[in-house]
Amino acid sequence: MYSVSIKNLTKHYGKIRALHDVSFTVDEGEIFGYLGPNGAGKTTTLRIIMGLVYASHGSVQIFGNDHQSSAIRNDIGYLPGEFHLYGNMTGQGLIEYFQQFRLQKPPVLREQLLNALDIQPSDLKRKVKFLSHGTKQKLGLVIAMQHDPKLLLLDEPTTGLDPLVQKSFREIVLDRINNRRTVFFSSHVLSEVEAVCSRVAILRAGELVAVESIENLRNKMVRRLQVRFHGSVPGNLASVPGVTRSQIMGKEVTLWIRGDVNPILRTIAQTEVESFIFPEPELEDIFLTYYNREG
Amino acid sequence: MNGALQNIPPFMRALIEQQFFGGLTQKGLLGFGWNHPIALAIGTAVALVFASRAVAGEIESGAMELILSQPITRLNYFTGHVLFALTSIALMSLIGVCGTLIGIQVYSLAPLEGAILFKVAFNFFLLHSTWYGITLLFSVFGREAGHVAFIGFLLALVSYFVQVIAQLWTKAAFLLPYTVHTYYSPQKIFVNGELKPISVIVLLGLIVVSIGIAGWRFRKRDIP
Repeated sequence: MYSVSIKNLTKHYGKIRALHDVSFTVDEGEIFGYLGPNGAGKTTTLRIIMGLVYASHGSVQIFGNDHQSSAIRNDIGYLPGEFHLYGNMTGQGLIEYFQQFRLQKPPVLREQLLNALDIQPSDLKRKVKFLSHGTKQKLGLVIAMQHDPKLLLLDEPTTGLDPLVQKSFREIVLDRINNRRTVFFSSHVLSEVEAVCSRVAILRAGELVAVESIENLRNKMVRRLQVRFHGSVPGNLASVPGVTRSQIMGKEVTLWIRGDVNPILRTIAQTEVESFIFPEPELEDIFLTYYNREG
Repeated sequence: MNGALQNIPPFMRALIEQQFFGGLTQKGLLGFGWNHPIALAIGTAVALVFASRAVAGEIESGAMELILSQPITRLNYFTGHVLFALTSIALMSLIGVCGTLIGIQVYSLAPLEGAILFKVAFNFFLLHSTWYGITLLFSVFGREAGHVAFIGFLLALVSYFVQVIAQLWTKAAFLLPYTVHTYYSPQKIFVNGELKPISVIVLLGLIVVSIGIAGWRFRKRDIP
């Protein structure tokens, strides 16, 4: 059974088209990434799934049931992209307040989450308005996950988290998968999605560009490599397997590489290099890949 | 005192007898306490704050998204807010009654019938519940509590002043039925013991219609 099934989802805000004919499914026990730049429609999709926004066309089902049902939300944990916590409540008070909505689902993961996310007892006693953005984000994660939901919907969950806590968050997510839970999270950072997801849907300007496994995505992705050579530029770079395009400006070469990077690295290793830049691929690189334009 | 009233300009006498002091009697003065601008302002402010924060305020702050992602229906959320607000306004009315009783006791005034106290408290409750309902209607269409509260405040202010002016200026008297404050008459309740059925019908009708439409709209709108 699919955890989430979306068919022909369309949303218009007046004349503005936020989503157009988006369809995909999320399997049970999967970590599914929803990738796209700011304004692509990721948050709109999540809000429609949660019943906060009404679709103009199309359908959404969660565990085979109508997504509008409030009962289904017992099995969902949702972390909005931007949210407000009641500032005059303490961290502990807030966690317990939201638990009261699910009295039949005890907070079995609360202690584990508090430890993994490094939330100090002093943070729990302090009023929320005096907490840092990162700590508030952690509290949001605890609220979303403490009842061990079958489906986690997370909108940019690692925003404001330091790298160590991001790592802990990834471990928590992977642990959930081992317990047959489904995770659906949106992000505009490719590396974040690459690190944990098995599949990813790529959204741009409200339209689905692709739904791929991470492995296929890596194989298809065109990545940029910039090398400054000490001596003359080797003449055979453009013919190295994987190189789709090259641009030479003096001693500096930019190469576009798809798939296996080892052949070009072996070729470059045979020469003297002054500088070597192989940046993390950006979303635009992915879009260019799928629109068949490079650089 | 009544002799003195005869010698003041007619419009001032109307102001004193109708709007403020109910004819300078003990009951009339007690009635004025329920129609004092400060008492009205406090009651209206409570109604406006509750209404503006119920939907627009929660959307503005971002809390609404987190709340409605919990397993509660929008109807439950809306009903909870409405019940809380109406209960609070009822408590305010009760506090007014307690204040009146304390004042009667402290100043050794003639006791009042329970029916009069009930009617005036009920009228006070209806008036501020009406402002709550009207402002709530704007709240479910809005996204910012401040804007919504300001609209509610303006409407209440206009209603109050139009009612005062229409009572003093005969050419504006036709406006009286269209102001909410026309249906709030504590002085008449204290002096004559009457709460006109039309006042109850109009105010209750406004409350039911405004809250009903607000509830329908809230269930249909996108968040935010």
